[in-house]
Amino acid sequence: QHFRGRKNRCHALAVRSVRRAFVKSTKARRQKKRILRKLWITRIEAASLEHGLKYPAFIGNLVKSQVELNRKVLADLAIYEPKTFKSLAALAQRRRQEGFLAALGDGKEPEGIFSRIVHHH
Amino acid sequence: VAKTSLTSPPWPEVPKLPDPVEEAKYHAAEVVQKVNGMISAGEYGRLFAVVHFASKQWKITSEDLIMMDNVLEAECGDRIRLEKVLLVGADDFTLIGRPLLGKDLVRVEATVIEKTESWPKINMRFRKRRNYQRKKIIRNPQTVLRINSIEIYPCLS
Repeated sequence: QHFRGRKNRCHALAVRSVRRAFVKSTKARRQKKRILRKLWITRIEAASLEHGLKYPAFIGNLVKSQVELNRKVLADLAIYEPKTFKSLAALAQRRRQEGFLAALGDGKEPEGIFSRIVHHH
Repeated sequence: VAKTSLTSPPWPEVPKLPDPVEEAKYHAAEVVQKVNGMISAGEYGRLFAVVHFASKQWKITSEDLIMMDNVLEAECGDRIRLEKVLLVGADDFTLIGRPLLGKDLVRVEATVIEKTESWPKINMRFRKRRNYQRKKIIRNPQTVLRINSIEIYPCLS
Protein backbone atom coordinates (compact mmCIF):
# COMPACT_ATOMS: atom_id res chain seq x y z
CA GLN A 1 0.00 0.00 0.00
CA HIS A 2 1.07 3.62 -0.20
CA PHE A 3 3.35 4.81 2.64
CA ARG A 4 4.82 2.32 5.06
CA GLY A 5 4.17 2.24 8.81
CA ARG A 6 2.41 5.00 10.74
CA LYS A 7 2.86 7.38 7.81
CA ASN A 8 -0.32 5.98 6.29
CA ARG A 9 -2.38 6.36 9.51
CA CYS A 10 -1.25 9.38 11.52
CA HIS A 11 -2.03 12.85 10.17
CA ALA A 12 1.11 14.77 11.11
CA LEU A 13 3.50 12.08 9.91
CA ALA A 14 1.44 11.64 6.74
CA VAL A 15 1.53 15.36 5.95
CA ARG A 16 5.32 15.37 6.12
CA SER A 17 5.78 12.26 3.99
CA VAL A 18 3.21 13.35 1.39
CA ARG A 19 4.96 16.70 1.06
CA ARG A 20 8.30 14.92 0.54
CA ALA A 21 6.66 12.63 -2.01
CA PHE A 22 5.40 15.60 -4.06
CA VAL A 23 8.79 17.30 -3.99
CA LYS A 24 10.58 14.11 -5.00
CA SER A 25 8.20 13.55 -7.88
CA THR A 26 8.78 17.06 -9.26
CA LYS A 27 12.56 16.60 -9.13
CA ALA A 28 12.32 13.10 -10.60
CA ARG A 29 10.46 14.40 -13.65
CA ARG A 30 13.68 16.19 -14.67
CA GLN A 31 15.93 13.25 -13.77
CA LYS A 32 13.74 10.80 -15.69
CA LYS A 33 14.97 12.29 -18.96
CA ARG A 34 18.59 11.71 -17.93
CA ILE A 35 17.94 8.17 -16.68
CA LEU A 36 16.10 7.15 -19.83
CA ARG A 37 18.84 8.54 -22.06
CA LYS A 38 21.45 6.54 -20.13
CA LEU A 39 19.33 3.41 -20.52
CA TRP A 40 19.01 3.92 -24.27
CA ILE A 41 22.76 4.45 -24.55
CA THR A 42 23.58 1.21 -22.71
CA ARG A 43 21.14 -0.71 -24.90
CA ILE A 44 22.58 0.72 -28.11
CA GLU A 45 26.09 -0.04 -26.87
CA ALA A 46 25.20 -3.67 -26.18
CA ALA A 47 23.54 -4.08 -29.59
CA SER A 48 26.40 -2.49 -31.48
CA LEU A 49 28.96 -4.64 -29.63
CA GLU A 50 27.10 -7.68 -30.93
CA HIS A 51 27.83 -6.39 -34.42
CA GLY A 52 31.48 -5.65 -33.62
CA LEU A 53 31.31 -1.87 -33.17
CA LYS A 54 31.77 0.30 -30.11
CA TYR A 55 29.15 2.91 -29.18
CA PRO A 56 31.17 6.11 -29.90
CA ALA A 57 32.26 4.72 -33.28
CA PHE A 58 28.68 3.73 -34.13
CA ILE A 59 27.05 7.02 -33.18
CA GLY A 60 29.83 9.19 -34.62
CA ASN A 61 29.79 7.45 -37.99
CA LEU A 62 25.99 7.51 -38.16
CA VAL A 63 26.00 11.26 -37.56
CA LYS A 64 28.73 11.74 -40.17
CA SER A 65 26.62 9.87 -42.75
CA GLN A 66 23.75 12.32 -42.12
CA VAL A 67 21.39 9.82 -40.45
CA GLU A 68 19.63 11.80 -37.72
CA LEU A 69 18.04 9.07 -35.61
CA ASN A 70 17.89 9.70 -31.90
CA ARG A 71 18.84 7.27 -29.17
CA LYS A 72 15.32 6.36 -28.18
CA VAL A 73 14.47 5.18 -31.71
CA LEU A 74 17.82 3.44 -32.12
CA ALA A 75 17.22 1.49 -28.90
CA ASP A 76 13.72 0.50 -30.10
CA LEU A 77 15.10 -0.60 -33.46
CA ALA A 78 17.82 -2.63 -31.75
CA ILE A 79 15.16 -4.47 -29.74
CA TYR A 80 12.38 -4.97 -32.27
CA GLU A 81 14.10 -4.73 -35.69
CA PRO A 82 17.42 -6.56 -35.51
CA LYS A 83 17.92 -6.65 -39.28
CA THR A 84 17.54 -2.88 -39.58
CA PHE A 85 20.00 -2.37 -36.75
CA LYS A 86 22.48 -4.68 -38.47
CA SER A 87 22.23 -2.63 -41.66
CA LEU A 88 22.80 0.59 -39.68
CA ALA A 89 25.86 -0.99 -38.02
CA ALA A 90 27.22 -2.00 -41.43
CA LEU A 91 26.67 1.57 -42.68
CA ALA A 92 28.58 2.96 -39.71
CA GLN A 93 31.44 0.47 -40.20
CA ARG A 94 31.76 1.37 -43.88
CA ARG A 95 31.79 5.10 -43.14
CA ARG A 96 34.44 4.50 -40.46
CA GLN A 97 36.75 2.74 -42.90
CA GLU A 98 36.25 5.44 -45.50
CA GLY A 99 37.24 7.94 -42.82
CA PHE A 100 40.40 5.97 -42.04
CA LEU A 101 41.36 5.87 -45.69
CA ALA A 102 40.78 9.59 -46.08
CA ALA A 103 42.89 10.32 -43.00
CA LEU A 104 45.78 8.03 -43.93
CA GLY A 105 46.20 9.51 -47.39
CA ASP A 106 48.29 7.86 -50.07
CA GLY A 107 50.79 6.10 -47.84
CA LYS A 108 53.70 7.98 -49.43
CA GLU A 109 56.40 9.75 -47.47
CA PRO A 110 55.82 13.42 -46.67
CA GLU A 111 57.81 15.99 -48.65
CA GLY A 112 60.40 18.34 -47.22
CA ILE A 113 63.66 17.49 -45.45
CA PHE A 114 62.77 17.62 -41.78
CA SER A 115 59.39 15.86 -42.06
CA ARG A 116 60.81 12.86 -43.92
CA ILE A 117 60.57 9.65 -41.88
CA VAL A 118 63.74 7.53 -41.70
CA HIS A 119 63.32 3.75 -41.89
CA HIS A 120 65.84 1.69 -39.93
CA HIS A 121 66.29 -1.83 -41.33
CA VAL B 1 64.26 -8.07 -42.25
CA ALA B 2 63.08 -8.90 -38.72
CA LYS B 3 59.74 -7.46 -37.66
CA THR B 4 60.08 -4.95 -34.82
CA SER B 5 57.52 -2.84 -33.01
CA LEU B 6 58.08 -0.01 -35.48
CA THR B 7 57.98 -1.85 -38.82
CA SER B 8 54.25 -1.42 -39.29
CA PRO B 9 52.18 1.56 -38.10
CA PRO B 10 50.33 1.10 -34.79
CA TRP B 11 46.84 1.44 -36.33
CA PRO B 12 45.16 -1.66 -37.80
CA GLU B 13 45.35 -2.40 -41.53
CA VAL B 14 42.39 -0.91 -43.37
CA PRO B 15 40.95 -3.38 -45.91
CA LYS B 16 40.62 -2.21 -49.50
CA LEU B 17 37.19 -0.77 -50.19
CA PRO B 18 35.42 -1.46 -53.52
CA ASP B 19 35.73 1.12 -56.29
CA PRO B 20 33.05 3.85 -55.93
CA VAL B 21 32.20 3.94 -59.65
CA GLU B 22 31.73 0.20 -59.89
CA GLU B 23 29.82 0.17 -56.65
CA ALA B 24 27.48 2.93 -57.83
CA LYS B 25 26.77 0.91 -60.97
CA TYR B 26 26.07 -2.28 -59.00
CA HIS B 27 23.88 -0.37 -56.57
CA ALA B 28 21.85 1.34 -59.29
CA ALA B 29 21.47 -1.77 -61.41
CA GLU B 30 20.85 -4.58 -58.96
CA VAL B 31 19.83 -3.27 -55.56
CA VAL B 32 17.52 -0.45 -56.64
CA GLN B 33 15.83 -2.57 -59.32
CA LYS B 34 15.26 -5.42 -56.90
CA VAL B 35 13.78 -3.17 -54.20
CA ASN B 36 11.60 -1.32 -56.73
CA GLY B 37 10.34 -4.64 -58.02
CA MET B 38 9.54 -5.83 -54.52
CA ILE B 39 7.68 -2.64 -53.68
CA SER B 40 5.61 -2.61 -56.87
CA ALA B 41 4.82 -6.31 -56.51
CA GLY B 42 3.67 -5.64 -52.96
CA GLU B 43 5.81 -8.36 -51.40
CA TYR B 44 6.25 -6.61 -48.07
CA GLY B 45 4.29 -7.42 -44.90
CA ARG B 46 3.95 -4.82 -42.16
CA LEU B 47 5.74 -1.53 -42.78
CA PHE B 48 7.23 0.47 -39.94
CA ALA B 49 8.41 4.07 -40.19
CA VAL B 50 10.41 6.46 -38.04
CA VAL B 51 8.73 9.87 -38.13
CA HIS B 52 9.85 13.20 -36.63
CA PHE B 53 6.76 14.88 -35.18
CA ALA B 54 6.15 17.36 -32.34
CA SER B 55 9.94 17.64 -31.78
CA LYS B 56 10.13 13.91 -31.02
CA GLN B 57 10.95 10.86 -33.08
CA TRP B 58 8.48 8.01 -33.11
CA LYS B 59 8.72 4.47 -34.43
CA ILE B 60 5.24 3.81 -35.83
CA THR B 61 3.34 1.09 -37.68
CA SER B 62 -0.21 1.11 -38.98
CA GLU B 63 -3.08 1.05 -36.44
CA ASP B 64 -0.82 2.71 -33.87
CA LEU B 65 -1.81 5.23 -31.20
CA ILE B 66 0.42 8.24 -30.51
CA MET B 67 -0.04 10.80 -27.75
CA MET B 68 1.65 14.17 -27.76
CA ASP B 69 1.90 16.71 -24.99
CA ASN B 70 0.73 19.73 -26.97
CA VAL B 71 -2.17 21.19 -28.91
CA LEU B 72 -2.69 20.48 -32.60
CA GLU B 73 -4.70 22.99 -34.62
CA ALA B 74 -6.81 20.28 -36.22
CA GLU B 75 -10.28 19.19 -35.20
CA CYS B 76 -11.09 15.67 -34.01
CA GLY B 77 -11.53 13.36 -36.99
CA ASP B 78 -9.21 15.30 -39.33
CA ARG B 79 -6.89 13.28 -41.55
CA ILE B 80 -3.28 14.42 -41.32
CA ARG B 81 -0.31 13.52 -43.48
CA LEU B 82 2.94 13.17 -41.51
CA GLU B 83 5.92 14.43 -43.46
CA LYS B 84 9.53 14.29 -42.16
CA VAL B 85 9.96 10.53 -42.44
CA LEU B 86 13.45 9.41 -41.40
CA LEU B 87 13.35 5.64 -42.00
CA VAL B 88 10.96 3.15 -43.58
CA GLY B 89 11.37 -0.59 -43.25
CA ALA B 90 9.76 -3.91 -43.91
CA ASP B 91 10.93 -7.46 -43.38
CA ASP B 92 13.42 -7.70 -46.26
CA PHE B 93 14.48 -4.13 -46.97
CA THR B 94 14.85 -0.74 -45.25
CA LEU B 95 15.00 2.71 -46.79
CA ILE B 96 17.26 4.96 -44.72
CA GLY B 97 16.87 8.68 -45.32
CA ARG B 98 19.81 11.09 -45.26
CA PRO B 99 18.31 12.59 -43.13
CA LEU B 100 14.79 12.67 -44.59
CA LEU B 101 13.08 10.52 -47.22
CA GLY B 102 11.37 12.08 -50.20
CA LYS B 103 7.69 12.94 -50.01
CA ASP B 104 7.00 11.06 -53.24
CA LEU B 105 8.43 7.87 -51.69
CA VAL B 106 6.46 7.47 -48.44
CA ARG B 107 3.02 8.54 -47.31
CA VAL B 108 1.96 8.32 -43.64
CA GLU B 109 -1.69 9.05 -42.84
CA ALA B 110 -3.03 9.73 -39.35
CA THR B 111 -6.33 10.85 -37.81
CA VAL B 112 -6.83 13.02 -34.73
CA ILE B 113 -8.90 11.03 -32.23
CA GLU B 114 -8.86 12.81 -28.92
CA LYS B 115 -7.89 16.19 -27.51
CA THR B 116 -7.80 15.96 -23.72
CA GLU B 117 -5.83 17.22 -20.76
CA SER B 118 -3.32 15.16 -18.87
CA TRP B 119 -3.87 13.93 -15.33
CA PRO B 120 -3.31 16.71 -12.75
CA LYS B 121 0.43 16.69 -12.03
CA ILE B 122 1.57 18.29 -8.80
CA ASN B 123 4.52 20.66 -8.77
CA MET B 124 5.73 21.20 -5.21
CA ARG B 125 8.70 23.15 -3.92
CA PHE B 126 9.72 23.02 -0.29
CA ARG B 127 12.64 24.35 1.76
CA LYS B 128 13.05 22.90 5.22
CA ARG B 129 13.12 25.12 8.30
CA ARG B 130 12.45 28.19 6.15
CA ASN B 131 8.65 28.12 6.09
CA TYR B 132 8.61 27.99 2.26
CA GLN B 133 6.37 25.71 0.26
CA ARG B 134 4.54 26.21 -3.02
CA LYS B 135 2.08 23.77 -4.54
CA LYS B 136 0.87 24.02 -8.12
CA ILE B 137 -1.32 21.65 -10.11
CA ILE B 138 -0.44 21.42 -13.78
CA ARG B 139 -2.67 20.03 -16.49
CA ASN B 140 -1.11 19.68 -19.94
CA PRO B 141 -3.23 19.56 -23.08
CA GLN B 142 -2.71 16.30 -24.95
CA THR B 143 -3.65 15.04 -28.41
CA VAL B 144 -4.10 11.43 -29.45
CA LEU B 145 -3.46 10.41 -33.05
CA ARG B 146 -4.08 7.08 -34.71
CA ILE B 147 -1.80 6.12 -37.62
CA ASN B 148 -4.04 4.80 -40.35
CA SER B 149 -1.59 3.63 -42.96
CA ILE B 150 1.96 3.81 -44.25
CA GLU B 151 2.41 3.52 -48.03
CA ILE B 152 5.52 3.41 -50.19
CA TYR B 153 5.75 4.03 -53.93
CA PRO B 154 8.40 2.44 -56.18
CA CYS B 155 10.12 5.62 -57.30
CA LEU B 156 13.71 4.92 -56.21
CA SER B 157 16.65 5.93 -58.38
